[in-house]
Amino acid sequence: MPPLPDPNAVFLNIPYDEEFSRLYVAYIVGLTQLSLVPHLTTEIPGGDRRLSKIFKLIQSCRYSIHDLSRVEVGAAPTDVPRFNMPLELGMAVTWQSLHPGRHTWFVWESEPYRLQRSASDLNGTDVNIHHGTPEGVLAELRNALGRDHPPSVPQMQTVYDLVNSALNSIFLRNGTSNLYDRSVFLDLCSLSVSLGAFFPASKLAV
Amino acid sequence: MPKSVHITARRPTFEEMEKSLHISKARKRALQNILDELKTKLSTRVEANLSPVEPETRRKRASAA
Repeated sequence: MPPLPDPNAVFLNIPYDEEFSRLYVAYIVGLTQLSLVPHLTTEIPGGDRRLSKIFKLIQSCRYSIHDLSRVEVGAAPTDVPRFNMPLELGMAVTWQSLHPGRHTWFVWESEPYRLQRSASDLNGTDVNIHHGTPEGVLAELRNALGRDHPPSVPQMQTVYDLVNSALNSIFLRNGTSNLYDRSVFLDLCSLSVSLGAFFPASKLAV
Repeated sequence: MPKSVHITARRPTFEEMEKSLHISKARKRALQNILDELKTKLSTRVEANLSPVEPETRRKRASAA
């Protein structure tokens, strides 16, 4: 049996593509502003046993968010739907079924009823809808992962704007323009956490 | 699965969050300049957002004095 999960850790199961970049930053900022710790598969080094490492990461997190909004078929005939996200959702569902007190998973989508078309086996699951916007992600995170004295959505949005404005400096510092690079992820987390320390959530609450 | 939960776990300290994310002191030092710039911007916005009547109040107090 693995050790108990970190009660503030959230496994973030998201697509790593350009169209998702604004929502990605919103997830990181939103979670850290709610005093939650995001974890991603980008933290995992490559190797043959990648799947078992991903499963361990899910097991170490009390919550997981599975954003299926980009599970789609591309325009080109050679394009295929992304299956990593549904695969990792399946792992979380299985883990939660075996140990209900250890894990809670959430499915996020960009629009209502889309999930019924892409994964009808999940009918009956309450889906969190972000409408494909950073504001939607922040608002829905605050609703889904409630805790006492959360910052307001406009205040989270302020921190999001600030962190977003620092992206070019972060890219320059890390010698990459890949938003999903592990170093960039750590910089985004560090800045967002530090801004929270500078202005605690309890004081931000209105 | 629920659409929402209420988290009752103790909030981690910022140091605990950084430790959990494996954010090194070297990384923090390297980000200090960017952070200082963001803090300045945030201070300005927070003052404007949280104390919208303050400049007016200050003006009234000044004129009353």
